[in-house]
Order: sequence, then structure tokens, then C-alpha cells
Amino acid sequence: MKNTSSAPAKIAKALYLLLIVFFLYLPIGALMVLSFNSSKSMASWQGFSLKWYKEMFANEELMEALGNTLTIALWASIIATVIGVMACVAMNAMTDRKRSIFMGLNNIPLLNADIVTGISIMMSFLLFGISLNYGTVLFAHITFCIPYVILSVMPKFRQLENHTYEAALDLGASPLYAFFKVVLPDIMPGIVSGFLLSFTMSVDDFVITHFTRGAGINTLSTLIYSQLKIGVRPTMFALSTVIFVIVLLVLVVSNFFRKDEEEEAKKASAKGKEYVYKGGMSTKKTMAIILAVVVAMAVAVRFTPSTPGEVSEKGVVYVYNFGDYIDPELVDAFYEETGYTVVCDYFDTNEEMYPVIKNNTADYDVICASDYMIDKMIKEDLLMELEFSQIPNIQYLSQNIRDFMEDFDPGMFYSAPHTWGTYGIIFNRELVDEEDFEGDVSWGILWDEKYAGKIIMPNSIREADMVTAKLLGYSMNTLDENEMKEITAKLIEQKPLVYSYANDNARDLMIGDNASLAVITSGDVLYAQEDNENLDYVVPVEGTEVWTDCWAVPKSCKNYDGAMAWINFMYSYDAAVANFEYLTYAIPNTQLEDYVYEDYIEGETILSEIEILNPSEEVLERCETLKNLGPEGDDMYSRYWKEFKSK
Amino acid sequence: MAKEKTLIEMIDISKSYDGEIVLDEFNLNIKENEFITLLGPSGCGKTTTLRILGGFTMPDTGRVLFQGEDITHMPANKRPLNTVFQKYALFPHMNIADNIAFGLKISGKSQEYINDKIKYALKLVNLSGYENRAVTSLSGGQQQRIAIARAIVNEPRVLLLDEPLGALDLKLRQEMQYELRRLKDELGITFLYVTHDQEEALTMSDKVVVMNQGYIQQMGTPEQIYNEPENAFVADFIGDSNIIDAIMVEDYVVKINGYKFPCVDAGFGKNKPVDVVIRPEDIIIGKPGKGVIDGVVTSNVFIGVHYEMCIEAGGIEWLCQNTRSFAVGSEVSINVDPENIQIMNKPQSEDEEAISLEDVLGEEKDQ
Repeated sequence: MKNTSSAPAKIAKALYLLLIVFFLYLPIGALMVLSFNSSKSMASWQGFSLKWYKEMFANEELMEALGNTLTIALWASIIATVIGVMACVAMNAMTDRKRSIFMGLNNIPLLNADIVTGISIMMSFLLFGISLNYGTVLFAHITFCIPYVILSVMPKFRQLENHTYEAALDLGASPLYAFFKVVLPDIMPGIVSGFLLSFTMSVDDFVITHFTRGAGINTLSTLIYSQLKIGVRPTMFALSTVIFVIVLLVLVVSNFFRKDEEEEAKKASAKGKEYVYKGGMSTKKTMAIILAVVVAMAVAVRFTPSTPGEVSEKGVVYVYNFGDYIDPELVDAFYEETGYTVVCDYFDTNEEMYPVIKNNTADYDVICASDYMIDKMIKEDLLMELEFSQIPNIQYLSQNIRDFMEDFDPGMFYSAPHTWGTYGIIFNRELVDEEDFEGDVSWGILWDEKYAGKIIMPNSIREADMVTAKLLGYSMNTLDENEMKEITAKLIEQKPLVYSYANDNARDLMIGDNASLAVITSGDVLYAQEDNENLDYVVPVEGTEVWTDCWAVPKSCKNYDGAMAWINFMYSYDAAVANFEYLTYAIPNTQLEDYVYEDYIEGETILSEIEILNPSEEVLERCETLKNLGPEGDDMYSRYWKEFKSK
Repeated sequence: MAKEKTLIEMIDISKSYDGEIVLDEFNLNIKENEFITLLGPSGCGKTTTLRILGGFTMPDTGRVLFQGEDITHMPANKRPLNTVFQKYALFPHMNIADNIAFGLKISGKSQEYINDKIKYALKLVNLSGYENRAVTSLSGGQQQRIAIARAIVNEPRVLLLDEPLGALDLKLRQEMQYELRRLKDELGITFLYVTHDQEEALTMSDKVVVMNQGYIQQMGTPEQIYNEPENAFVADFIGDSNIIDAIMVEDYVVKINGYKFPCVDAGFGKNKPVDVVIRPEDIIIGKPGKGVIDGVVTSNVFIGVHYEMCIEAGGIEWLCQNTRSFAVGSEVSINVDPENIQIMNKPQSEDEEAISLEDVLGEEKDQ
């Protein structure tokens, strides 16, 4: 039958296969290529480079997260495998009815949503007063791995060669001896697959880890997730590539061994007598190889020069921050200067950080939060007042920022700004009429039909509404229903002109010349300019949103002096420069005003950066900060947003 | 045989699973150097008996004595008996030599001793030179012989065999029957054999124990079991038979459906209802008028050695076997020699009621 299929059918088959392989591996291939791109951008190729690999191995946080991921996965899957196999032994001895009940119970956690599992495990820990740490993550991972082990081992038990266990007893073996000598080799394939399944599940897990981890404990998934705010750095591509290649190698090697053994068996059975059966060896070998690789990786990671050794005498400062939101080297610098060990932990959004502080699930000494969240937390009495006598460097805080702080922390008792910025329009000089950007620029340019299909608007309620409200001369925090109607109508009018509604990837789309104009925050501009020198930025004349991310101390703080020292350190000249260079966000520090970053792009001095990051007084006067609208306001905004989206 | 010593005594053994009684006050004595077979349909309790002896199942009540010593609660690995399992239960990840050496290694025998034993055992089961073969490369019969070799190297006093030939095809089964008998004679140890195959039981055993629903129905030599079944169940289970309601008119005369047959049994009393067992091969088919009853052949099947026919005579359907063929529809007569008529008392309880042969053969596997 198979041989008679026609040539077109064969070609169709091959094509189909090719398509499947293509779609399966295209994303991974793209990622691997990008990991060698010397540019940070995902949109353009700027030459081959290994710098991300270098950066990856130099990045202690990344290496520590990798170490955590591997050790947690290794221990969790080993312990879960032992417990799971023991459970199978017990269940195998049960009557059919009881066993099916237990199998049902076993399957429920598998089908249960991760988020439910994660939250319930977290709640149980808190209920019993266990503070979240490395152990709780490990415990949670063991918990969710056990069902997978049982699921893959149980069928092997049911298939067990009839009565081999009894036969061993009959021949004089003790129950334990019989189990290890006779039963274990038979169920080994199930155990191996259960172990591997657990291992991958553990490495993959984000949700459950997220809920059960303590301060400073990161796995790769939580670390990567927390870095989304700044944008995934190419080091992640490098890391993903390394992991993928290792997995591939393990697979290839284990397959190679298995094939070897099969051939040996075939040859031997053809010859007849000489064959010596090596039952279960191939699985054992595979297992050994995989274990060896994992252990080697974990050990290698552990022994790379890591954070300054033991906890210092002065204690630990737990910092809860947006991912990748300070120069990582400052952690060591802070230790050298003050003697405090810093443990950093990360979140992606304010909304993610808020419940952690509110429910006190982990104890942090210093947090970083946006203006409106500071406002909310002050009102809910979640923050401690700052002792500014311990923060002498606060004298370097720019004055114009102090004015904006009146909006969310009147009198500045609770917070100290870390970064700030504006929203404006990023444009590609090559793709727009230069005339349009001479002199004052209006938000109205985003409604100019000349740029139809070349405009990127924000894909979030407040930012899109802010742009429109400012254009119409309203407040971005308006609660007037008529103004809201007008804003929505204006947004709908703009719809046909918009190329894309995008948040994080607006920057990359601009770098890749996909659009001419985009609404973007000032912090992303230098980053984008680095990869595409045609890009420029302007804050429209109608004014815009000013945002501030501030340091604050939650009530859970255990090391207040350390927290003060940290904030003070952040205002030092060296830290301000380091953060600015690392983040390219505006740092509200007067010491930076004279600082001209000379070799940001080779040989070229960017003087305009001051302008981009620090708008003129005139512009700032027309700016506002994002305010909490209250529940009714939120309802109205989302109602009109839905209306706009559905049109 | 009677003067040989009793090796194993099972006294008042009862066992039930989930309220269902499998063995009820079961008693059995096994003598030294005996080939004893437990024969019965699925669920009759024969495998349970074996498992209790092997130590894999604990009886609810009763005791097991081995040479007078109570071993009821001795764990399986301490008992001086070995089992050959229905599906061989060889260890698939070990080669033949390792399989056979398994028990010897545990008991801490020297390497030379073990090697000698392996060689000896393989020779005994006609598989010399198979030491390094993989289990999976052997045929069913070979695997079964390895299972036996694995058991006998430990020199057990008793070898328990749980339907060891059940998974083999007919030809192999017959060969293995002779092999087992030969082994038994060479080794001189006690064999306790469990099967639902009556032919196997009759061929090999010194003593056959017919069991049904947890009770022993009859115990005796193969000849006794076949020729003088004590009740309808045994008669029905052992070979084909015609089991017919009849009335014992007086000593040596039985009346079947109004036709009187001379017989050799006496002592049942007068006009007593009885069951009569007549083996199909014992029915003499002759020309009409020559026998006791005249009848018509209603079916005729050739089944190898002989023809199996149904003859409608005197209102009864008679199952007959004969080397001569009588065409369907031909008129014949039937007769039976007096010594071939086996008279049995009617069963006393429901339990002893004969079960149909179809039920027995319907399920091949014992639980």
C-alpha cells in the first residue's frame, strides 16, 4: 500500500512534515539567532557577537536564578519520585475500588489550575506562620510533582510481569530485596519518565513559584517575568539557547546509547548464544547522563563567584523592585560601602507588588513603586515614614520633581523618587516631514492622515486617554462624562490611521522602521536611539503625563537603617550615574545635571538627552501625574475603553 | 503410598474475599513424594489453596502444618517450598543463569555451587547452554522449563505448580506433561499441581483432588475419579458423560425413563431416585431391536479418534462416541454393559448440584 502512493502524494506528505517542523522550530531558531545579535533590538541584525553570553555568565542574578531553578527542580523531582513510587507501591496493593478512588484524587491536582494550587499553597504556609523562602518553593514543587510521578509509574505497576514479586519472595528474597531487585528494574522506565516529567514541570513552573517564593528567591521564570518592564534583555536569549542546546544534547546522547544497545541486542540474538542481556541499562544510562548534566550545571552555577559570600554582620536588606530597574553591580558596591548585604527581588507591575505588601506574604525592607501606587499605599497605611536625616543625599533631588510629588506624597514623607519621565512622541526623521517637527509639536499629529498606517498608539486605557485628553485640553484625570465621550469619539476617529496599539513592543517596532510615529515614555528613547539613530523624541506642546517611580519603606520592614542606607546610596553620584547608564531613564539627581554622557554612542556626545529626559519648565507646567480615579472613575474609564475597543 | 509420611496438613482452612467464601473448612493431607493435583473450575478455590501453601495469602481461620510444624504465619520467603507460576514470572531484566541463580544467591551459596546447579538444572529441563540467553528470546515452553529449573535448584521439599501449562499450545502441553512427570520421578520430591484441565490431571497425578466452590468433591486416583465419580459434578467435570435421572428399582436393576438396565450397584434401597452416569464411549450402538432402546441418530461430528453422535432414544438425548460412523437419520439401538453404569445418590444440597460444562469451560482463567 505505502509503496503505491503517487509522487504528488509523497511531495504533499513531505511538505506537510516540513511545515510542521518549520512552525515548531522557527521560534526557537529565531531566538537562537537573536542571541548572537550584537544589537539589543529584536528588530534589526547588527552583526555577530558573543557579548550576551559573556553578560549572561557575568550576571550573578541570572546565574543564581539558574542555580535555584536547577537545584529546586533536581531536589523536587528526586523527592517527588521517591514519594510517588512509595505511593504507587501502596496503591498497587489496594483493592480496585480504593485504587480508583485514590487515582481520582491524584488526578485532581493535575487538572487543577496552577493559580489555584499556587494561591492555596501560599495560604497554607501563611496560615501556619511559615514565612516564604527557598524551602517553601521546594515544598510546593514537590507537592505538584508527585501526581506526575504517580501518573507515570502507576501504569508500569499495573503492567508488571505477573507475580514476579511473589516469585522473588518464593525464592527466598525479603520483601525489600525483592522490590529493589525485581520490581524496581521493571518499573524503571516509568520512574525515569516520571522524574523527567517532574523535572521539566518544575523548571517550567512560574505561577506556583511566584506565589510561594520568599524575598530574594528567584527562579528563571520569575526573574524573566520581572524583567518585562524594562524589556527582555538578549542575555535571556543566550540563556534560552544554552538550555535548549543542553536538552538537545542530552536527548541525542541518550538516543545514541539506546540505539547502540538495540543493535548489540540484535546482533547477539542473530548469533545466538553470546548475548548477555543488560536489562534496564539503557534507561539507567540515560538517567545517569541527565543527572550528571543537571548536577554539573547546578554545581557550576553554585561555584561561579557569587554574591558576597555570607550574610554580613550588619544584616540583609531585602529590596523589592521592578525587574532590571537598577544597575546590578550596585548591589556589590553598596555592600562594600556600607556593609549591608542586599537581596533583590522583582516584580513586573505595581499591581503585582501591591498584594504582596498588603498581605505581608514576604518581608521587604525597601520597595520601588509608581506615583499612583505610592498614593494608594499611603492612604491604606502600608508605608513607614522616611527618616530623611539618615538620607543626607536627598539634597540632590531635583526641585521640579518635588513639585510633582505634591500630587501623591504631599510634603514628601513616605517616598524618594528613583526615576522619572514623560510620555511623548518618538518619530523617525527619515519617515516624517521634517517641517512637522520644527517648533512646537501637537498631539494632533497623531491624527494627521498623512501618517495613516504609520502611527502607534498605546494599548492601555490611561495612556491612550491621556494623549487624547491633552489634545482636547482636558485633564488626564478627568471624571467628566461629557469630556470622556468626546475623548472616546476622538479615539474612534483615529482608529483607521493606527498601525498598531502597542505597549512594550512599540519601541522595537520603531527601531525596525515599521512605523513613523509612536507614543512612548522618555526612558525608552535613548535605548531606541542606540539601535536606530534616525529616531527622535518630542514632548507635545499641550503637555503630557509625568510619572515617577519612588523608593518607599513598607511596614513589614525589618532593617530600617539598612533601608535608609540603601535609599541614601541611590542618591550618591556613582549610583546615579550607574543607574542612568544602565537604564537610560531620567534620574532626578542634580549631580547629573552637569553630567554629559560622552561615549554613549561611540565618539558622539548626546547633549539632547538632557532635553529628552528633562523637559523645560514651560512644558512641565502643562504636565500632570496619574491619579487614582476611585472605583467609579475606573468603571467609567473601562466602560468607554470597551466602547472604543468594540468599534 | 499409604505408608509414606504426611508432609503437609491443611486443617480447617477457611478463606473469603469481600464476604465471598472461597474455602470453607478445607482439609487436605499431602504425603511425601506424591504428585497431587487440585482439579476444578475457575473459582473453585484451588489457586487460593496453593497461595495459602506458598504463603502469599493468609487463611482467615485454620492451620497449615509442615512436618507437624505450624507454618500458617511464616512469610513466603522462609517456607521450604517453591512455586512455579502460571505465567512463568521470570525476571525479564535478568538472563537465564541469573534467573536460576536468584534463590541460590540469596541463600548465600558459593559461586561454584551455583554454577554447577545452573548446569544441572538446565540439563534437567533439556535447555543446556542457554545460560546467557535473554528471557524474552525463549518460547513459552522454554520459559516454563526455566521457571521450573529456577524453582527446583533450591531443592524444595514441595514444588507448587499453578497451572504451569495453561499458556502453552496443545502439543507443547502434552510434551510438558511427560517432562513434568519425568522430573518428578528424577527429583523424588512432592508436586502439588493446580489445573482446570482434567486430562492433565488424569495423565500426571498420583492423586487427584476435585474441588468445587471451596469444597473437596472427591479425592482419589485418576482411575477412581474417572470411573467412579461420587457425584454428578465430578462426573460432569471429568470427561464427557450422560448424566440421567433414574430410579433404582432394586439391587442391580436401574430404570431409565421406563427402560430397565442391569447394573452392578447395590444397597440404594428400592425405588430410590438416583443419578446415572454413562460415559459416551460406553454406549454400544447396534442395529434396531438389538439393544435395550431403539432410537435415531440426530447429529454426527468427526472429532479425530472417533465420531461423536447424538442419539434420540427413549425420550433422552444420548451423547455417544464410536469409531464407527452412523449417518444422521439412521435408526439404531443402544445398550450399556452393566459395569459401565455408574449409580450416584442425588445431591443433598444446592451446592453439590452439577454445574453445566459450558460454565466451566467458559472461563479458562482461574482468579
